Amino acid sequence: MGRVGALIARHPIPAFFVVFAVFPFVVPYKALATQVLIYGLFALGFNLLYGYTGLLSFGHAAFFGLGAYGTGVTLARLGVTSVWAGLAAGLVLAAAGGALIGYLCLRRRGIYFAMLSLAFAQLLYFVGFHLSWITGGDDGLRGIPVLPVGLAGVRVSIETPLAFYYFVLVVVGAAVAVLKRILDSPFGAVLQAIRENTDRAAACGYDVTRVKLLSFVFSGAFAGLAGGLNALYLQVVPIDTLYWTTSGQVVMMALLGGAGTFFGPFVGAGVFLILEDVLSVFTESWPLVVGAIFMAFVRFLPRGIWGTVVGLEIMGGLDGPPKPPERSHTPRGTRGVARP
Amino acid sequence: MKAITRRTFLRAGGLATAAVVLDTAAPRVTLGQAPIKVGFPVPLTGPYGAEAADQQAAATLAVEEINGRGGVLGRKVELLVRDDQLKPGVGAQRTKELLENEKVDFVIGGLSAAVQMAINEQTKKAKVIYVSISQSNEITARPDWSPYTFHEAINPFITSHVVGSWAIQNLGKRIYVLYADYAFGQQLRDGIKLVAEKSGATVLGADPHPLGATDYSALFPRVQAAKPDVLVLANFGKDQLNSVKQAASFGLKSQMKLVCPVFLGTMRREGGPTVFDGVYGGTTFYWEIGEKIPTAKRFADAFRKKYDRPPYDYAGYAYSGTRLLLEAVQRAKTTEADKVIAALEGHTYDYYKGKQWIRKCDHQSFQDVYVLKSKKDQKAEHDIFDVVGRVEASEKFERSCKDLGHA
Repeated sequence: MGRVGALIARHPIPAFFVVFAVFPFVVPYKALATQVLIYGLFALGFNLLYGYTGLLSFGHAAFFGLGAYGTGVTLARLGVTSVWAGLAAGLVLAAAGGALIGYLCLRRRGIYFAMLSLAFAQLLYFVGFHLSWITGGDDGLRGIPVLPVGLAGVRVSIETPLAFYYFVLVVVGAAVAVLKRILDSPFGAVLQAIRENTDRAAACGYDVTRVKLLSFVFSGAFAGLAGGLNALYLQVVPIDTLYWTTSGQVVMMALLGGAGTFFGPFVGAGVFLILEDVLSVFTESWPLVVGAIFMAFVRFLPRGIWGTVVGLEIMGGLDGPPKPPERSHTPRGTRGVARP
Repeated sequence: MKAITRRTFLRAGGLATAAVVLDTAAPRVTLGQAPIKVGFPVPLTGPYGAEAADQQAAATLAVEEINGRGGVLGRKVELLVRDDQLKPGVGAQRTKELLENEKVDFVIGGLSAAVQMAINEQTKKAKVIYVSISQSNEITARPDWSPYTFHEAINPFITSHVVGSWAIQNLGKRIYVLYADYAFGQQLRDGIKLVAEKSGATVLGADPHPLGATDYSALFPRVQAAKPDVLVLANFGKDQLNSVKQAASFGLKSQMKLVCPVFLGTMRREGGPTVFDGVYGGTTFYWEIGEKIPTAKRFADAFRKKYDRPPYDYAGYAYSGTRLLLEAVQRAKTTEADKVIAALEGHTYDYYKGKQWIRKCDHQSFQDVYVLKSKKDQKAEHDIFDVVGRVEASEKFERSCKDLGHA
């Protein structure tokens, strides 16, 4: 067990690809596996900001939605026929949104920061709701085509559920590799320094606000890429993509899986979506069950599923350097001393 | 580990319960062949849960009746109900699951324009027939429409034309509109404006309110100043209840007639006879029409016998939509989409309220619409409306095939 753990820790990206290559064959159906990957990436983006930088954003629906509409509008309305161009448009739009919203929100800390991010996301929701000539408004954006994907000069069809899954896996895997690179860089170390002690990081000479803003932009870009993939996947962009419940869902997934752990968001997204899928067939009260499980985790296993697994002695070192054991669930940067 | 044990337990428990429920509910059709599977995504949870429960109940009734007669093509019909939570994303995901995992032959369902669109995108791509049972203008229009799309419900255009022209003829020519500021409300508003123009009535004003608004009092002084004969409340769900309630307490009802284009039994029952006294509205079905129409009586009686309550309009859509589709399969003698489509196009039927037909170009179901007035001396729980008007089905109340983009 320990050796497997060490292996995963040393080669997280190959491990990711191996696990998710077989994943569609262990879940009930392929479309569910696709959804897990997409929401996993969304939660991963959120986790960069929350788990690594210590900033609790309650408005990540904004970036997921900007990515989804960016990609959707490019492909459905502007007549662009390249899936990559569509995804790039969503990603850039979300990153730009991250820069703007981050710039405005980062002037405040703690709960004020969280509330501001929520407010901006809701603002975008209402803008999207009323700009129905672009966004489709309440009816949602429809007519996003399923185009073949250009891969190394060859156009590959992604129409079947399995082909689409592997297309998403390639994109998400690349994003995971990029994120890993970011976290392993000195910049990544500064992010975690800010999370652990903002004042000390500032005292060491780091421009804390700028680093936070950059983290916000990266986080937005990852969420936006997930949103773009979701637009391709559903072929519609519902207006509630931008609604605050989407933000709530990603917070729940990240916490369930283990905020601040690398693979936690994927585990959280997987558990949440599979539970929803299986339970909602049997009972209308499935949110009650999911809610109870979530509360149980927050109460008894605050490090989340993956956080608990990697915290176990036998799996030591599974998820990078061990975290200080006394680290509480609330990231330090958001605790206490909020200056309005 | 504790959580996993509990989850497994719940899952097992859910399976066991479902097995028991399904076993007792399923009629005793013992047929060798695989069943015909019909996916049925509706918002069981969420604000329209009551209407969705009615949809589910009525579709179940239709399937049981058909299975009781020996199924379709000698095969049993299986209804696979899913909760779309009134969220388009969830509706799309549930439909993907039904198509990919359950390999359903057909999909029926939806209870919001947005969810219908999301379901429609999936069925379109999979080339599976989808019968929509909720209001939407776009679903029968290109580019959203596809040959696999059928629309059993009416839409905001037809609703506003039928109810609007009835109100102009019977209640007065000076009209004011308050509408919920999203697709449904805006489309009703546009329809009312159009019908007013055609019939020489005046729309004195049309003001929006946010979807889900709780305070309407700020809107009323303008309405009162305009002195309309009719105030149209173009909204749905709780908005309808809240706006009627506040209009009543503002004294608007003594100055003008209130009209709700889609009059909801659920909201009328929640608000009570006093609040809704004198309010008019439109519907496609109310159980009392059974006094004159034999099929309506049969449907209402069967529904009441099984569920101990009468069916409302959304139950009617679900019942009729399910039978429409399955009986077309019987006529086509195959589940092949193209042949079933051919059996549906132009088909005339009467399952629960009189003659209906499917227009060939856009697959819209044309049907009678009723005008209701809230009853003051309510004698029983479901004795809530008087039927004051019936507008016979006609294609003149809908956009033409050309307008909808069907060449």
